[in-house]
Formats: sequence, structure tokens, C-alpha cells
Amino acid sequence: MDTVTQSEKTTVGRATVVTVKREPSQTTSFMMTLIRGMTVTMRHFFSNLFTKTQTETLEYPEEKIPYPERHRGLHRLMKRDDGRVRCVACMCCPTACPANCITIVPAETDDPSVEKYPAVFEIDELRCIVCGLCVEACPCDAIRMDTKLHAAPVEFRGDAIETKTSLLERGGLSHAIQAGKGSDWRESEQ
Amino acid sequence: MNKQSAKHQTYAFQGKTPMDAASNENAKTITLTIDDESISVPQGSNVLEAAKRLSIDISSFCYHPGLSIAAVCRQCLVSIEGVPKLQPSCQAICQEGMVVRTQDEQSMDARRQMLEFTLVNHPIDCPICDRAGDCTLQKMYFEHDYQLSKIDVPKVRKPKAKDIGKHIMLDAERCILCTRCIRVCDEVANEHQLTMINRGDKQELTTTETLDNPYSLNTVDVCPVGALTEKEFRFSMRSWELMMTPSVCSGCSTGCNIEIHHRNTEVYRIKPRYHKDINKHWMCDEGRSIHKQWYENRLTGPMREGIPVSWEDAMTHAGHCIKTVLDTDCDSIGVVFSPHHTNEANYLLYKLTQSWGVKKLFMGGAVAVPDRADDILMDQDVTPNRQGVISIVDAGLEDTQTLISQITLGTIKTLIVLGSELDVAPMITDSSCQIIVFSEYETDMVSNASVAFPISAWMETDGSVTNRDNHIQRIYSAMPSAGQSLSAWETLVRLSNETGHGLKYNDLRSVDACMRRHHNFPQHNWDNVNPRVQLRFEHSRG
Ligand code: SF4
Ligand code: SF4
Ligand code: FES
Repeated sequence: MDTVTQSEKTTVGRATVVTVKREPSQTTSFMMTLIRGMTVTMRHFFSNLFTKTQTETLEYPEEKIPYPERHRGLHRLMKRDDGRVRCVACMCCPTACPANCITIVPAETDDPSVEKYPAVFEIDELRCIVCGLCVEACPCDAIRMDTKLHAAPVEFRGDAIETKTSLLERGGLSHAIQAGKGSDWRESEQ
Repeated sequence: MNKQSAKHQTYAFQGKTPMDAASNENAKTITLTIDDESISVPQGSNVLEAAKRLSIDISSFCYHPGLSIAAVCRQCLVSIEGVPKLQPSCQAICQEGMVVRTQDEQSMDARRQMLEFTLVNHPIDCPICDRAGDCTLQKMYFEHDYQLSKIDVPKVRKPKAKDIGKHIMLDAERCILCTRCIRVCDEVANEHQLTMINRGDKQELTTTETLDNPYSLNTVDVCPVGALTEKEFRFSMRSWELMMTPSVCSGCSTGCNIEIHHRNTEVYRIKPRYHKDINKHWMCDEGRSIHKQWYENRLTGPMREGIPVSWEDAMTHAGHCIKTVLDTDCDSIGVVFSPHHTNEANYLLYKLTQSWGVKKLFMGGAVAVPDRADDILMDQDVTPNRQGVISIVDAGLEDTQTLISQITLGTIKTLIVLGSELDVAPMITDSSCQIIVFSEYETDMVSNASVAFPISAWMETDGSVTNRDNHIQRIYSAMPSAGQSLSAWETLVRLSNETGHGLKYNDLRSVDACMRRHHNFPQHNWDNVNPRVQLRFEHSRG
């Protein structure tokens, strides 16, 4: 509703003063608007009181909004067929991590096809900024953030560090082909 | 040594390398045109080196400026006007009026296809390859090829993680058959220990005997891919995480130029750095382990009679001891210089002895190891700065034998020792000699000393050293000094103030300036305080 009827400008020194003149408020009626508003409020009040169909609030944590497909949650480490960790300790993820929260100590395995594996793999979830760059960087599909879990609240900072064991507990099997499309790419593209 | 190696004998050290040809100032110059730019180079240089001068990077694998030319990889093909076929630029010697094209379609195509060919059987296991990050093949793939493999048959498998020598692992699948490593063994170490067997895609690098020559790790440096890796460094750190600080090897008096590769305060490996006259591109295996005992047994705080004390306490006590002796019997003081420390530290110690009027000066340092000497790089003298000490203390320097006999005779009652290598502690324990020592490590002498000052070790030190051929070279500190230790020059300046013969130096630059005036030392570039680089940003390794 446009209540500005008139305005005038005066100049005081270097400043310009705009005086806005409005109609005196007694002349407009606010009763109708008030009643309209209260009707909406009352409708929601009573319908929410007896049914729950219109409630926007969720009873978290019993009820949850389903997350989108590409939501980034807590990390996990994927496994090979034989149950070993897929990670080969290439150090791409700690290099990519802008928060420096990934600690890996590489070591040599007895598996000649892998050679290198992480003896220690730790992620400090308090430092993690959930950017997902580690997942992007990983050439081995070893680290994923598709668990749709939040980092649980902790009492001590040290408890927020995810170890290789806890990361692997959430892990699943991955059969991703490393280094490009794989040797049968021509057949699969036809 | 068999026939084949005799053929190549000391090739790399007779001044005949491609690099020498290309930088020979005395040779006649010839002018040629590369990619429409004309350039004059010394006669005898190859097209690849000439192009480098114009900052044109022709890709190459098998060419190494310090080795003979094999021209086996064909990665450096260029077109030369008037020559019907593409020529390997590493082997093509520049001729007057030659017109070379490196970026035309034909040669670009050829190089791309050569690279694709090289990659046919390459395992592409970069994630677990130690060379990732400073690999020539990786770099070239991104610059030239950058496409998926078109091969749909299984790759040829070869041995992986094969132990071929004391320090080295071979991954034959990654090898691109450039033969650089074979040439290093033949031409630098003079031992034919590596060779190629089979032909075609079955061709494979193998050893004729175990790869155990004292220069074996140079093969790892020249390998353009991760086929040869150093056991000690293997899997310990990614190369792109490392910082490089230039320095000089402390292993012997040859003074090979080195790169210290470190991260924070930990040294991961030592690599050779090119020096035209001293070590060229190489260094010995022993020199690469100078950082191994780095952290062990460090003296991290001042000691009095083997008990840790504060710096002030140690200083006052040492000052008091020295002053008392100076006033009573100046001739009973002996001072031991250290060929394991910089010119600056030794120079300050010398100045101090002069102002005190002390006459008994000795050369300390580890004893020579005649067995290790060869005519390639290694010297029997395992001290990096003996020549420097000799040129600073020009007269009256006596050897350790004289020192020992003088202590036993009792003519020396107070001994001031720089460095931790001198081991005279056994006889000192039963003589009444009092010792003031500046040491990096906790040695027997430190526990017997009246006062021991902790000083910075080699890689924590700034300064200069003089090698056996009087090359004066700058070393840089790669990391801060361990614990409470201070650099030797700083400790000496403090001690001089304590004894009332103050040396007025505030920084190394002024020590150096003064030393230069007295001993005709060349000036160093002290402004360049931190020539460190992160390897991640240094593109052209490999
Ligand atoms: S990027 Fe992947 S393979 Fe590499 S260290 Fe991280 S999790 Fe392991
Ligand atoms: S091991 Fe390395 S240096 Fe030796 S031939 Fe193979 S790629 Fe070349
Ligand atoms: S670099 Fe010229 S052929 Fe290999």
C-alpha cells in the first residue's frame, strides 16, 4: 500500500534532506488486514492441533529428510574383493585436502600387485571442511563420502579422529577399474 | 671389468659430455635457425642443447647431458631442412646454416606417436610409483599425449619390485628402455652391471651382477621414470611434498654439490646438484646417507661435567676457566680446529686464538679412509673442509698425533675443541686436562668435558666450505638448529665476549666480509638467504 503522498527536498549544507509526508494513520483502516491474518494463523493453529498434515517441522532425530544422492557425509574406505583396503597410499588426498586433515603413513605390503598400502590412515573429522576434494583426488575409488552420516558429537577432540579401522567398518566393496576405461573399452562403447 | 665397460672408460669425466660440448666457450661458434629464431652455439653441440638455449623444450628420454648419446628412444625427433627423414635432435650435431623445425606438424605427430608407443606396455601405476610428481613420462604425457590408451590387448608383464642391488629396486614394467642407467654404470662408475635382454616388447633391463658399485644410486637419478627406485626413500614420502635446499656434501673433501630434500625438519634424501668442475651430475652412494645419523645422539643443550646446564651458566663457567688459564699459563692451552665445520666457524676460532695469544693449534677431524679413494669422485679424506682450515690457519697447524703426545706429556692442560669428530677422550679421562668442546653430538668427549656447547650440525648450518681443489662453496641451512643448539660462529662470538676479547660480529655476512679481507676468499651472495624451492613447483626434473 502506497502511503507516500508527497515528499520534498531541502538542502542543508552539503546534505540533502528528504522530508516524506504520509497520510495520518487514523485515516486508513487496518481491521480487515488484521482479521485476514488472524484467519490464516487460526487455520494452521487448529489444523496442527488436531492433525499433523500441515506441519513443516520434523521430529528430528526420529524423522529425517532424505538426503540428495550426492550428499557428502562421513568418509569411508572401500575394500577390494579380498577384503583389503583399496587405498594404495598414493597421498593424493592429503595433497588435495585444503584442511590438512588426512594423515597417511605408507608401507610396503606383501601383495605384489599392490606393493604399497596405508599402515596408518586417519582423518580428523573436526578439521574436515566436507569439501569432498579427497574423493575427487582419489585415483583408486578408495575413499568415499557417500555414507550420508554426520560426524557424531564428541567429548574430546581426539575422539573425532577416524582411524583406518573405523573408516573400513563403514566401507564396502568396490570393483572400479583403475587407470582409465579398462582393456575392454571398445566393446563396452559399442 | 669386462670389455664393454673398458670401451666407455671414464667417458663422463674426460670432458667429452654433450653438456661440455654445448658450453665450451673456446670452441668456434656456428649459427643455425631453430623455429625461425637464429642462435649461435659452440661447434659440436647438438640440436637439443641448442634448442634448450632458446627455451624450446624438445621432449627426450634417453638423452642425458652428462652421458654419451644413445638415441634409442626417438622421443626427440625434429625436422631438419634438406634431410628427408626426421632426425633425433639429441644426436644431430649443429651445422652452420642448419634450419630446424621442432613444432611443425610432422615432428609433433612423430613425438606424440613415439610417446604413445612408449606407453603401450607401461603399467601406469603412478599412485604407487615413487617417481610420480617428478617423472619425465608423466610430464610428457600431459604436454604431448593426453589421451586414453588405444590398446585393447593385455599388457606385457615383467618383474615388479625386483631387488637388484644394495640400494635399488627395479620395476621392469615401468622401464622405458632408455639405457641411461646402463650408461651411468658404464661411464661414471666404470662397471658394467646392467644390461638389456630380449627384443621388442619383451626387452627388459636386468643385471649382469648385483648392482653394487659405489655410484649405483645415480641410476635412480637418471632414470626418467620410476623403474629404478631407492630402497631407503621408497614409499617414505611423495616428492612433491619435499623442499629442496642446495648444499655441499659433508662426506669427503671432494665437496660434491647436493640438494637436501627435506620436509619440515626431516631430511628424506640427498640428490646431486650439477657442478661443472667438481661432480658434474653425479655423487657417490655414501654421500647420500650423510643424513642418516642426523637426529641420533644430538647434543641439544649445554653441559657441564656431563650435567645439563643453562647457556648462561655454561658461558660464564667456560669464560672463567679460559680467563684463569690465560692469566697463568697461556702456553698450556691447545685449540683444535675442525675440518667438518665451515670456514666462518674456523676463522672465528682462529681470530679468538690470536687475540688470546694461544700458539698451540691442531687440526682435528676424522682420520682418512684410504680404502674409499678412487679416481672418480670419492676421496680418502673424509673431511669436507680441510683445505679451508689450512688456508685460514696458514702456519703452525699440527696434527692429532702431536696433540695426543702433548696431552700425555702434560704440556697441554686445557683443550678447546671445535667439532665432535676428534676422539681423544680415552686418554683424557686419566689425564687432568680440562676440555671445552663445541659439539653437535653427544660423544665421549662431551661427557668428559668441563663445558660442552651444542652447535648446529651440517644441514642446519649456513656458511662456506673449501674442497680439495680450493673451490669455495656456500652451504645453506635446511632447517633450524636442533634443541637449544646455536650455530658455531654465534657460540664463538658469545664466548669471546665472555673472555673479554670481544669479536664484534652480528651476522655471518660480516664474518665472511672480514674473512675475505684476510684470506682472499671470494664473495658469496649472502642476500640470497633462502634459495629453497618446493619440488612441486620445479617442473623440469627427471
Ligand atoms: S587418494 Fe585414494 S588411494 Fe590415494 S591415498 Fe587417498 S584414499 Fe588412498
Ligand atoms: S630403468 Fe630407467 S634409466 Fe634404465 S633403461 Fe629403464 S627407464 Fe631407462
Ligand atoms: S632423446 Fe634423442 S633419441 Fe632419445
